[in-house]
Amino acid sequence: MSLIAGIDIGNSTTEAAIARVTDGRPEFLASGMAYTQGIKGTLDNIPAIIDVLEQATAKAGVNVADLDRVLLNEATPVIGDVAMETVTETVVTESSMVGHNPDSPGGRGIGVGRTTAIDALVQNEASADDEPIIVVVPADYDFEIAAGIIRRALEAGVPIVAGIAQKDDGVLIVNRLPEALPFVDEVGRIDKVPLGMLAAVEVAPQGHAVRELSNPYGIATLFSLTPEETGFVIPIAKALVGLRSAVVVRTPAGDVTSKPIPAGTIEFVGAHQRLSVALEQGADEIMETLGRVAPIHDVHGEAGTNVGGMIEHVRQTMADLTEKPLAEVFIKDVLAVDCLVPQKVAGGVADEFSIETATGLAIMVNTDRLLMTRIADTLARRIDVPVELGGIEANSAILGALTTPGIDYPLAIIDGGAGSVDGAICRRDKPVEHVHLAGAGHMTTLLIKNELGLASVDVAEKIKIHSLAKVESLFHIRHEDGGVQFFETPLDATLFARIVLLTDDGLVPIDTRHTLDRIRGVRREAKQRVLVTNSLRVLRRIAPGGNIRLLDFVAIVGRFGLDFELPQMLMTELSQYGIVVGVANVRGALGPTNAVATGLIINHGQQERPA
Amino acid sequence: MSEQLASPPAVEMTLTERGPAKTGTAPDEVVIAISPAFGDQMKRKTLHGLAHAAVIREFCAGIEEEQVKARIVRVWRSADLAAIGFDGAKLSGSGISVAIQSRGTALIHQRDLVPLAPMELFPQAPSLALSTFRHIGKNAAKYAKGDSPSPVPQVNDPMARPKWQAIASIYHIRETQFVRQGEKAVELDVEFHT
Repeated sequence: MSLIAGIDIGNSTTEAAIARVTDGRPEFLASGMAYTQGIKGTLDNIPAIIDVLEQATAKAGVNVADLDRVLLNEATPVIGDVAMETVTETVVTESSMVGHNPDSPGGRGIGVGRTTAIDALVQNEASADDEPIIVVVPADYDFEIAAGIIRRALEAGVPIVAGIAQKDDGVLIVNRLPEALPFVDEVGRIDKVPLGMLAAVEVAPQGHAVRELSNPYGIATLFSLTPEETGFVIPIAKALVGLRSAVVVRTPAGDVTSKPIPAGTIEFVGAHQRLSVALEQGADEIMETLGRVAPIHDVHGEAGTNVGGMIEHVRQTMADLTEKPLAEVFIKDVLAVDCLVPQKVAGGVADEFSIETATGLAIMVNTDRLLMTRIADTLARRIDVPVELGGIEANSAILGALTTPGIDYPLAIIDGGAGSVDGAICRRDKPVEHVHLAGAGHMTTLLIKNELGLASVDVAEKIKIHSLAKVESLFHIRHEDGGVQFFETPLDATLFARIVLLTDDGLVPIDTRHTLDRIRGVRREAKQRVLVTNSLRVLRRIAPGGNIRLLDFVAIVGRFGLDFELPQMLMTELSQYGIVVGVANVRGALGPTNAVATGLIINHGQQERPA
Repeated sequence: MSEQLASPPAVEMTLTERGPAKTGTAPDEVVIAISPAFGDQMKRKTLHGLAHAAVIREFCAGIEEEQVKARIVRVWRSADLAAIGFDGAKLSGSGISVAIQSRGTALIHQRDLVPLAPMELFPQAPSLALSTFRHIGKNAAKYAKGDSPSPVPQVNDPMARPKWQAIASIYHIRETQFVRQGEKAVELDVEFHT
């Protein structure tokens, strides 16, 4: 009889299981979990290991020193990193466009005329005979004074058709005019709006977006453009899609361009061939190229370009971590995902944002056994208990998953974590096959952060793992599925009208201008594109002949299984293949966690069992 | 010439009482609740010299810009800002009020909250500019619409206490003398003029 602990160091959590093994049969006593410190496979992990050991032994009613042996997982031999670069940008020259969503533009409709400073109206420089005027109101004009000047000019017959204001005064000015002229406000750099030029102002009714200025032919109609000139306004129209108010100014050389940023090329080095693909060609093209080269030996980024920087940065980080020379760090997998990120428009006058295309890369390198040996040695010295590496992680995970009630061979598992999605398949009388692919939790967080334009990764991480609700009054919230929950005591004032996350610590508000539906959409889309996509990639790699239909049981273990919506998303996606998919329930009690720690002990027991 | 025209007008206002304030039913209104002496006593200025009329005008403008209606009531029963704001919120059709004392301290309140826990509190009157009052009105209107605006940014002046505390206390003591205990809040009409 011996007392054994199994330890699984993951990218984000470290788990332990404690068992008493008699004649090779384990009797599990307790489990523990702590957050991993440092990148896995480094000596920084030791404090968390000691922490989980103490937790678990305390629960089992024993001391760490009583343990006969500690088994460490031979950590998945991959570590990954993520990076993202935008591949398009929008540049406005000569302030030929103002396109933004102020909270409250005034009036509605379209006005076409020459941009004229309100000063000119004051000095009676404009008269009734002039062509239509778009009045430009800088911040030093109070709304009542500005409205008075415009009203008197209108009464005198000056044909004012629309306005542009610097302050948030649009509604205030329009409310004081005899007619509801379209007024775009909150144009911060109003001094950059060219005067004396033909321009069009459009304000859409509430709940709508501009229609004429987001349509190239609409702009052509308003400005009487030739077919040739219409070609030049397509980027303007594109940049204004979905906005509630916009201004387009026709300047001699002004232009809006949406251009690709040369981001460099990626070269995949495979066993048989080398292929290159440019980053700006997008994720699909990159993944297809990768598929043609597979199995890959290494990946390079074009030197001196963005993608070169991204890839070499990852390689350098991994070289530092593993203390290997740079030339011996090989990149084994890449996952590219396209996303749309809000970027400030260069040359904009009202802090405009445009939605640009960006490509995110998750990159994975192989590590080696040496590092885990170092952790084992250090740990053994610290706790004075023999520590050994307990075999390949995939095997342990399979053994752990097999303790799920109702599961049987042949079994495939999906083990997703922060850095990689791992898969393994175990068929009767055959060695376990396993695969590791780049891109998992961290990549999802990065996508959420960039698509929502969030300032911090922490907020994105929280959004990823919690469901949303809207606080509709201090006594009730509406969940993202539409359900209402009431409260007996009023909620905190800081939560009023906020979009909140339902966390274990209660409701946490998120400071954002996005709607609940938009946040939910981005969150699910990110999970779909990274986690579900990668899970399918994993299953195709391990399934016999690459055919997912030939799998029987698929169990989800690890962090993926804990996510509040991912298991359902995976089941929906895999249901069409007619296979049994579900979240593992390790030892019939622990859910998807602790599979590896449990498997380590079972494996140890099987080896000790008298034949 | 344009400089003169550009300075804000209406530094004076006339407040006319229109009987006891009723509880509003329109969901698109924000009540502006003012203290017993606000607007016609105490030199009609906040402690750092902003005309009461200009402050009210900015509240109204901020609310109007969001296409919400403002209704002004005077609370007689207390000079305490939390009580004024809470009474205002209970009278407001949207349940949202902004409240201000003569010295310039302001808050945004909501009727379901406890009186001493407002939604946003602006305790340092001397650091509040007219643009801040506009923003307070705007935020209150957005709360009334069920939006979730970012809180109004505030300047924190560590010297405000030593510089202003004595005069702020005098303001409050003086304002308290105008309190009419047991008297109901009244509806006010406002007319701005220069």
